[in-house]
Amino acid sequence: MTVVPTPPTAPTSGGATSASGPGGSIFDLGYQAYQGPRLGRRSAVQALFTQTIRACFGIGRGGRAKLAPFILAALAVLPAVLAVGFAALAAQAGRATGSTLGDASPIRYETYHGLVGILIMLFCAAQAPELFGRDQRYGVLPLYFSRVLTRSDYALAKVFGLILALLAVDLAPYIILFVGRVFVAADPATGLADEIGAVPRFMLQGVLVAGLLGGLAGLIAAWTPRRAYATATIIAVFIIPPIIVGLIGSLTNQDLARVLVLFSPGDVLDGTNAAIFGSIPDSPIVASVGLAGWAYLAAAIVGLVASIALTVRRYLRIAP
Amino acid sequence: MMPLVDVTLRGLLGRRRSILLVLLAGLPVFIALLVRLSGGRPDADRVLDTLVVRTVMPLVALIVGTAAIGSEIDDGTAVYLMIKPIPRWRIASSKIVVAAGLTAVLIVPAVIITGAVLGSRTDTMTTIVGFSVACFVGGSAYAAAFVALSAFTTRALLLGLAYVLIWEGVLSGLLEGTKFLSIRQATLGLAAAFGIDTPGDALSRTVSVVVLVVVLVGAALLTSWKLARFEIRGGD
Amino acid sequence: MTEPAQPPATAALEVDHVSRWYGNVVAVNDISFGLGPGVTGLLGPNGAGKSTLLHLMAGLLAPSAGRVLVEGASAWRRPEMYRHVGLVPEREAVHGFLTGLEFARLNARLQGVADPDGAAARAIDTVDLTEAANRPIGTYSKGMRQRAKLAGALVHEPRILLLDEPFNGMDPRQRLHMMTLLRSMAAAGRTILFSSHILEEVERLADSVLVVYAGRLAAAGDFRSIRRLMTDRPHTFTVRSSDDRRLAASLMADASVFGAELVSGHVAIRTAEYDAFTRALPQVARTAGVTLFEVRPTDDSLESVFSYLVRR
Repeated sequence: MTVVPTPPTAPTSGGATSASGPGGSIFDLGYQAYQGPRLGRRSAVQALFTQTIRACFGIGRGGRAKLAPFILAALAVLPAVLAVGFAALAAQAGRATGSTLGDASPIRYETYHGLVGILIMLFCAAQAPELFGRDQRYGVLPLYFSRVLTRSDYALAKVFGLILALLAVDLAPYIILFVGRVFVAADPATGLADEIGAVPRFMLQGVLVAGLLGGLAGLIAAWTPRRAYATATIIAVFIIPPIIVGLIGSLTNQDLARVLVLFSPGDVLDGTNAAIFGSIPDSPIVASVGLAGWAYLAAAIVGLVASIALTVRRYLRIAP
Repeated sequence: MMPLVDVTLRGLLGRRRSILLVLLAGLPVFIALLVRLSGGRPDADRVLDTLVVRTVMPLVALIVGTAAIGSEIDDGTAVYLMIKPIPRWRIASSKIVVAAGLTAVLIVPAVIITGAVLGSRTDTMTTIVGFSVACFVGGSAYAAAFVALSAFTTRALLLGLAYVLIWEGVLSGLLEGTKFLSIRQATLGLAAAFGIDTPGDALSRTVSVVVLVVVLVGAALLTSWKLARFEIRGGD
Repeated sequence: MTEPAQPPATAALEVDHVSRWYGNVVAVNDISFGLGPGVTGLLGPNGAGKSTLLHLMAGLLAPSAGRVLVEGASAWRRPEMYRHVGLVPEREAVHGFLTGLEFARLNARLQGVADPDGAAARAIDTVDLTEAANRPIGTYSKGMRQRAKLAGALVHEPRILLLDEPFNGMDPRQRLHMMTLLRSMAAAGRTILFSSHILEEVERLADSVLVVYAGRLAAAGDFRSIRRLMTDRPHTFTVRSSDDRRLAASLMADASVFGAELVSGHVAIRTAEYDAFTRALPQVARTAGVTLFEVRPTDDSLESVFSYLVRR
């Protein structure tokens, strides 16, 4: 008796046999609908979120996709590793003097933002267009929107995925510095007590950096599906305003600069860094303008929230 | 040569890209007006140095340079230019001429207007002439370099950005000996040769000119070499 | 277009043990053949390596092994060859902002044609695109885009024309028009190669066939001759006669036949020897006193040839 697959016509109710008699059976190998349990909206959001983070680092795609993010992340972490290395060596040599080299090194918590801010910006410029632009360019948005995932779920999952990835890249060097300094100290317990104060500070700064830069990059990428334009615009928005504000500040009166500085993401984050660590800001204009720390914090938070809200709005209105 | 120039230009000046380029090139002019109108100090040197040479000029050259060949390779239309009996060096040089020319057309007038509107601390004429020449050559060098880069890789935009922001922005400032490996420094060195006061030690005039010429010629050679070995991308 | 082409110095196009791999993936695996004037069809399923092979022949890919010779000289890194070669790629988009006529003119000028405007207008006319010639190509339908690409490839009247799935997206009338055009060009001495995965197109247009499958050349030549060469596959014939059963019984006695099946209305014969059977059939029928109404080889079509070839 031959077993013959029947040609699929209408979907059957999942039964595998379409005819059977005393001598044998014919099995229906056509389309079978899925009858099992379905994970809900939460799982969908979680899956998209995880996939976004993985896409930020090029995981799950070829080797070339990993190149940019990993090189930028490695460069961001490098100074911290070097600082810890030197501190360890110096501590061994100079333990008798009782001073920690870490305080004299230019690589400290409060100065780290100035060192690697540009790398975070490049990371955004490299990866945000991939996250937001590809789906639009390849027309797969209808596939997403016809699922239990809502449009705002999609936008938020993507944005927060990007922000979390940035947070990881931004915090990694601080954590390395922290751990390194704790263990390099003569006594880890006192070392921990000394350094622990820095932890909530750099965490907060990290959240602000990742949130503001990620939010803005996501917004720009959501509006500009073509990768080259998105990258160029993101970088322009990050590096041009500080220069303009600097020029305005030094060439004209400070009042205009005082207002404009809050619209420059790079300067705002410099201001928050200075406010959180109580240090001198890197940017000369931030130093001279003399705005209170909370102004920068407020500007950062407003910028963060506004850019995320606008991104969600973009996806609520986009025609897939 | 002409039809190549023609189609490259038309491809480059799409609406979105043109708007972006005009906004970028107009930025220094806008700032100059803003400073002037709010009664600020005339210091066109500072504006031209920080905003134009270090920022707007490389960005414009980057957008134009990577799009001259890169956008065609990306969307597949490059094939129609390659299957023609034209020597590859001629294709390469056409692309570079267009990219460099467009960059110059955008940047040099912006330099002139900014200088004229804002006026210089020292001698306005020197500032305008010095920066115009420097930006003409420097902008062309940037554009040529980015055209060559985009012949070799699809991620030319990002690599170009990394070069301008990381290498020229940070590293070559730290490592004094590598100053000559920076188009930015060569441009500033050329401006300094006209008597403009640039911050830090500028490269000498000879070194600057040599660097810029090497970049221009090298870019043309490299692009020709790579185009001769052009392969269509993707499988079946 | 129907002017006789200048006769070339050597064989038009020769592919000599060419392979092309991308890392671990072998797209073209040791293929050799020669092309001359006339229309050749490159047949194979999607993913068989047709486009790769065409790109290799057009000098757009370097062979990983072997060589491609166009009119006796290497195709790779020799831009002068494009004077005599035209390519109509399948996937590559055309500059959307150019009108059809501007695209043809651009190609003409880049080719260094003596009268670019005239050549462009003629090419546009040949592909029947004159009404839409002044609209941007971005507004064209797929079939019109194909024709615009073809016009661009015809402006310099190439001796060799390579087309990658040229009939994609064309309606039957356009397809017929293009087939007629290609056939007339071939009759004038040009070498034309087109690829397709649609058997009817190849069957209708091609003088000879190159069958590729999974990167290898499965067969080359006129498809009927190919079929004749496949002696390990029995030929089948459909015969209608005045007395099927009697005919079938008599045929089974003949050495060339190894199967005869009675199907309603006719006899289906299976034989391994084409020539022996075609000679034996009339004699057997006469001896048995049966009149033959219809004798038809049932698998002498490109489809069955192809399905045999790819099922090996």
